[in-house]
Amino acid sequence: MNVVAKRGWHGVALAVGLSLVCLVVSLSFGAASLSPGQLWHDLLAGPGAHSATGIIFWQIRMPRVVLAFLVGAALAVAGVILQDLFLNPLTDPYVTGVSSGAALGATIAIVLGLAGGLWLTGLALVGGLATLLLVWTAARRRGRVDIYVLLLAGVSASYLLSAIITVLMIRANDDLGAILYWLLGSFSGRTWTDVETALFAVPFMIVPLFFTKEMNILLQGEKRALELGVDVERTKAVLVVTAAVLTAIAVSVAGIIAFVGLIIPHLVRLMVGPNHRRVLPFSLLMGAALMGVADLISRTLLAPTEIPVGVVTTFIGAPVFVYLLRRGRRT
Amino acid sequence: MSGDVGAAGASGAASAPGAAAVGGAGTPGGRSPSPIVSVQGASYAYDVDRPVLKGLSFDVAPGEFVGVVGPNGSGKSTLLDLIDGVLTPVAGAVLVNGRPTREYRRREIARLVALVPQHFALEFDLTVRDVVEMGAYCRGAECVPASAASAALGKLGIAELAERRFPELSGGEKQMVVLAQALVQSAGVLLLDEPASSLDVSHQLALFELLKQLNADGLTVICVLHDLNLALTYFDKLLVLSEGAAAAWGPAEEALSPEVLEAVYGVRAHVHHHAGRTYLTFSPRRSSQPRDRGRVHLVCGGGTGSSLMRELTDRGYEVSAGVLNALDSDEVTGRELGLRMAVEAPFSPIGDDAHAENLRLMADADLVVLSDVPLGHGNARNLDAVQTALRAGTPVWVAETLGQNDPGGLAAALTGASLRRYGDEGEVLQSLAEWQERAGGGARE
Repeated sequence: MNVVAKRGWHGVALAVGLSLVCLVVSLSFGAASLSPGQLWHDLLAGPGAHSATGIIFWQIRMPRVVLAFLVGAALAVAGVILQDLFLNPLTDPYVTGVSSGAALGATIAIVLGLAGGLWLTGLALVGGLATLLLVWTAARRRGRVDIYVLLLAGVSASYLLSAIITVLMIRANDDLGAILYWLLGSFSGRTWTDVETALFAVPFMIVPLFFTKEMNILLQGEKRALELGVDVERTKAVLVVTAAVLTAIAVSVAGIIAFVGLIIPHLVRLMVGPNHRRVLPFSLLMGAALMGVADLISRTLLAPTEIPVGVVTTFIGAPVFVYLLRRGRRT
Repeated sequence: MSGDVGAAGASGAASAPGAAAVGGAGTPGGRSPSPIVSVQGASYAYDVDRPVLKGLSFDVAPGEFVGVVGPNGSGKSTLLDLIDGVLTPVAGAVLVNGRPTREYRRREIARLVALVPQHFALEFDLTVRDVVEMGAYCRGAECVPASAASAALGKLGIAELAERRFPELSGGEKQMVVLAQALVQSAGVLLLDEPASSLDVSHQLALFELLKQLNADGLTVICVLHDLNLALTYFDKLLVLSEGAAAAWGPAEEALSPEVLEAVYGVRAHVHHHAGRTYLTFSPRRSSQPRDRGRVHLVCGGGTGSSLMRELTDRGYEVSAGVLNALDSDEVTGRELGLRMAVEAPFSPIGDDAHAENLRLMADADLVVLSDVPLGHGNARNLDAVQTALRAGTPVWVAETLGQNDPGGLAAALTGASLRRYGDEGEVLQSLAEWQERAGGGARE
């Protein structure tokens, strides 16, 4: 706890600055590095440019970086929501089982030879949302959703779906590599089409910004929130669905990228405190920035070979997570 | 100022017509101010087989200051949740401002009823100000001055906590902060669930004085508490809950009568009046033992028998005493314990009537105990009575130290086969227990 812990505008400036730097850096470096001047020139030239750097910038680098930022933001926001609802800072967006559902959808697409473009994304999305429906129904009783049943049902669904994926992987010799690579999460070869899909996440990132008061009050538990006048069931419904849709979209375009949804809310709470009025927007920014950097590392560290971005986030996330655990669970 | 009138009316009017009959579960209803909270035959069960509240009915008028007491598990907290609308009754209804709680939206009812829960958990380190401001949520778009939180903290005398982190506070401080949060709701009804449970005695009193003051400003207060003496001291009206039903509802002293307390808590309660206050002390009632294990008659005085009276009563013996002068400290204790006694006027030698009564009591007794009472001509007849008992063969246990300051040698004159000397009270109780065991439950040999 030091200057950053003052949680005033220091943290705000830090988060904004950091994500801007990450954006520029992500756009600059890669198989072919672009200087800031070149970057600026290509940006002004617009997507129609036919110069070599213009094509790299607009057709390869840009969609990939934008996608990484969107997915990072989506996972971070989903993480904030679920950690709030479960009152458990160790929760990540994947506990609802939605990610496993999406993964199963994607695996089916690959096995059926539909790996190209929208089929995979679409099936992943359907798989994720169908899992949400299943888990939600399991947790709903007499008009109330028991958040702990939801958690347990989500984890169970996760295991079940993973088992099905394993069976499919054993059967699918030829596609094994593709499935595995997808499951680890990657932005390799993503195009503007994927960005368009990911853009559907944007409204769902905005929704929770209207529920920051409720989310703060829910830190005191559901019963106290009821006593203070919060329509808890409605709030839970909106937030759980939002988190699940964000997760499903993220997983459908990028695979299962670990640790971002878990770590980012923690780091942000360290910087700006636990008030969701700040935690949400800054998690969004920091999630985007971290994912941008992770993707940068994934495509440059062992270039020309790419490391799946999920592996990079795990390398970053696991030690940070252990550090946070040792710091205590209070933040 | 209607709140003031209501509060005064509650304490005065409720006792006068006796409408709120102690022991009855009925409503005192029918008085002029329409109730702000009306519980009408409300039942609740978390689990169908085990109802927590069973057809409870009572009304609270605006500005009343009501305490709710009852044993653990009698449904007190559940009752608060019903009034707050967090739970809806499975039968009957709970009305706030004349409208059933189930018809309110959460936000609406939070503007009318605020609750201070017994337990409050917040692990995340929000500041005290953040926590208190959450109380304004129910006010929504309505303009809540930013100073509302500061004002509430100031009113509770904890303004200096505003920028502290909530999880770092002590239990008592947290409780006060949650009270501040509830006050920011600016609801007309304040429900409190054992607000004094983690406060030291000075803060307990400060809290209740504060609640009294808020009440005088018009706030209706319904407070669950365990401490019956605090309940007696501070509350105009008390609801005594027992197994989900009202065992009593009315003015505090009537509601906490020894009969009610024995029925509800299974303890014997003794009412004392001291320095203008009424307070209670308790003796356990051992339900496993029969009430009358035997009769013991005490000859004592000047406080030499008080503790034995209480110990024997607590252990289930039927105790009598005599002859004692009225207002003698043993006589006061005996009266509070409800003992049968032979009593003489203050500072008077034992007269014929009292002596005769004493002999009757002794004749009924299985054992007579003569304490280390100072002897003199005023109580010399008590020794005659003891000698009579000895002649009748009644066991008599006499304190060894009796008669050490006995110039007349009165104690030394006591003789009889059934006479026995004892060292201290512990020995009396021990011997009695052994005697009982040998006799197989009956005190008579």
